[in-house]
Amino acid sequence: MEEYKDKLYKILAQVEKPARYCGGEWNTPDMSKPRKADMCFCFPELYEIGMSNLGVQILYDVINSDKDFAAERCFAPAEDFARKLKEENLPLLSLETKKPLKDFTVLGFSIGFELLYTNVLYMLDLAEIPFYAADRGEEYPILLAGGPCAVNPEPFADFFDIIVCGEGEEADLNILRIIAESRAEGVSKSEILKRVKSVEGAYVPSLHKDGEKVTKAVLRDFENAPYPEKPLVPNIEAVHDRATLELYRGCASGCRFCQAGFWYRPIRERSAERCAELGKKMVESAGFGEMSLCSLSTGDYTELEKLEDILIPYCEQKRVNLALPSLRISSFKSDMAKHSRKSSLTFAPEAGTQRLRNVINKNVTDAELDNLAEAFEIGYDSIKLYFMLGLPTETDDDIAGIAEICKRLKGLYYLKRHKRGLNISVSCAVFIPKPCTPFQWEEQISMEEMLRKQNYLRGLLREIKGVSFSWHGAETSVLEAALARGDRRQSRVIERAYELGAKFDAWTEQFKWDAWTQAFADCGLTMGEYTRRREADEALPWDFIDNGVSKAYLLKERELGYMEATTKNCREGCNGCGALKLGRCTVC
Amino acid sequence: MLVLKYSKLADACFVSHIDLLRHVSRILRRADIPVKFSQGFNPHALVFFSPPLAVGVASEAEYLAVDTDIGGEELIERYNRAVPSTLSATEVFECEKNPNLQGKITAADFVFDTPFKNIDLSGFVIEYEKKGKAVREDVSDRIYRVADSGGRLSLRLAAGNTSLRPDRILPELNARLGVALALSDIRKTAQYVGFANDAAGGFEDADDYLKRV
Ligand code: SF4
Repeated sequence: MEEYKDKLYKILAQVEKPARYCGGEWNTPDMSKPRKADMCFCFPELYEIGMSNLGVQILYDVINSDKDFAAERCFAPAEDFARKLKEENLPLLSLETKKPLKDFTVLGFSIGFELLYTNVLYMLDLAEIPFYAADRGEEYPILLAGGPCAVNPEPFADFFDIIVCGEGEEADLNILRIIAESRAEGVSKSEILKRVKSVEGAYVPSLHKDGEKVTKAVLRDFENAPYPEKPLVPNIEAVHDRATLELYRGCASGCRFCQAGFWYRPIRERSAERCAELGKKMVESAGFGEMSLCSLSTGDYTELEKLEDILIPYCEQKRVNLALPSLRISSFKSDMAKHSRKSSLTFAPEAGTQRLRNVINKNVTDAELDNLAEAFEIGYDSIKLYFMLGLPTETDDDIAGIAEICKRLKGLYYLKRHKRGLNISVSCAVFIPKPCTPFQWEEQISMEEMLRKQNYLRGLLREIKGVSFSWHGAETSVLEAALARGDRRQSRVIERAYELGAKFDAWTEQFKWDAWTQAFADCGLTMGEYTRRREADEALPWDFIDNGVSKAYLLKERELGYMEATTKNCREGCNGCGALKLGRCTVC
Repeated sequence: MLVLKYSKLADACFVSHIDLLRHVSRILRRADIPVKFSQGFNPHALVFFSPPLAVGVASEAEYLAVDTDIGGEELIERYNRAVPSTLSATEVFECEKNPNLQGKITAADFVFDTPFKNIDLSGFVIEYEKKGKAVREDVSDRIYRVADSGGRLSLRLAAGNTSLRPDRILPELNARLGVALALSDIRKTAQYVGFANDAAGGFEDADDYLKRV
């Protein structure tokens, strides 16, 4: 790949942040070993964002740890670099060996967010690879997709040969093995795909028959699952530049709007000993100065205290900053709280009243809010609060409740401390009905209604001193909702939007609403068709995926929501969601 | 205080100085090098660098001063185990106190990957953008020496306060030589303290300076 390297170096001297494209990170595995097949992980976002993705780091490590295979990486380049590639007639290259993407056995796209769909096409475009699976002959790599968006892969199904629904640790390796063996036998791509179909979690859109089911891939032995003990150290500052410990997978809370909470069931915890051992190895091999605990609701982790007992002294000694979950502030065991920088607390009540929190099953009580007083006592002066607007059954009273929470916190703060004021930042997203949740049938409120609710809340918050307010763009929320529950017809829409200039849709300043509305119209569709309410007996595009949680359970949960009744945390006992059939929940 | 002389080559050239500062704390941690910390309210690691290098330029003469209790041999050995070969250290110096290279360095030699030719420096004017404004300046008095280094062109450029960045002279240099050098064709080979005609005897290679202090 030397020829490419020279040309690449010339370009690198002319672009912003060239370290995004040069590779050579510390802990890069040996790339010189013989490979039976190789895979390039493609992450449709900029380097600094993609490098923070734990999923990619895990899968990269899994494949490189296998003696027969190698994995490399490629991130969506910024536009200045993309322009240079085109000018110099260079295709998109991998970071490790500077190999053109189109020469890999497999390209594995990790898609974590609906607004990244156009970036997949942007990368394929730069890699000189046709968008549609049907248009790619034997000479092209096999395109695989995975990641959180595989909950409903239909909008991008036409672009890919294989989509991994669920967890990739075992599936990716099995698929790669089948591909390598089949290639060695010299069989055709369609025969390879036929063989791949047998892998748990593998969805092959071109061979899928109506009525067929795909069972979500689940990693059963989470305790001993491979984990990147030697994580790559990003060349430039990444969003999360630290040792990240995944304590458990799944979530016991059952918030009714939360896709990840249902999709990653069954709930599997890793022991505190194993987590601590992994954390130490990561710090020692990478030298990170920060360690964070990552899971959907870290404060719920059964062995949190035990883990803290091991990690707090270790991190103090190594001068590593340990980021602990906010709500556990009171359990700080050392004088670390006094020493550490007083960063902002974050807290997500999601809804302003107890009533609405019951509807969505967000079990945050007013009493818990009162616990924040202890944080104020040890010196925190600012807090970030996250809410959602447009939740099912929401009224203006619920919105007014957000302002009430702010007032209550200010009151608590003044009881404890008298200097300065408390800074509260309120951030509001718009509710997006997502597949694989009890609210998957709900409608999304109209754009007018979004704006009205935002204005109403802004007016209320303006009257409270020290509160700042930020919100998600209404347009992006509508698009995200339309794509989240999209179907096969949307591949054309995504292609059209890309043609019209849409890419990096997740970046506000790059977001092109007009391109998207036109793209839907050009394909004879509207976003409204997708954001509307669905009937309980309607066929849904993602029904063919068996994710363990039964439809009956989701419908029951929705009913309970309407009745403002909560469902207990799975740690208090199994609620019978159905996920058990795919593996044991270790918490109940 | 120990000072490492290290290089910055190939992929590592594209890592900016600011990112390198971040990396060093990680390198020291994974190399298990115990660094002393400053006293006071906001303790920071006692680690010091030579002046920043422009992104994309290679170097075989960068310096990193570390306040530690381990020996020189031990330091270089541990350091080299914790960095990619593109950042490896070649030498270590022992100094009484922080040699303040950031403040002391006055010049650096850069070798350009083109056959040596004696260029006329008169009226050497460069143009570049600084904070969105176009700058035009005559820099002939900041190119201290033109020399032949193994058949290739070597220039000694001002460093430190009046620093002349090698990337900025590239367009004018290309024009005068009739070549098309890129950033990746430049390599820093030495750094200096002192000045051409000062009482102390002119430019002194940073290596010699470090051996002396
Ligand atoms: S199977 Fe039971 S314990 Fe497991 S996630 Fe479902 S309801 Fe909770």
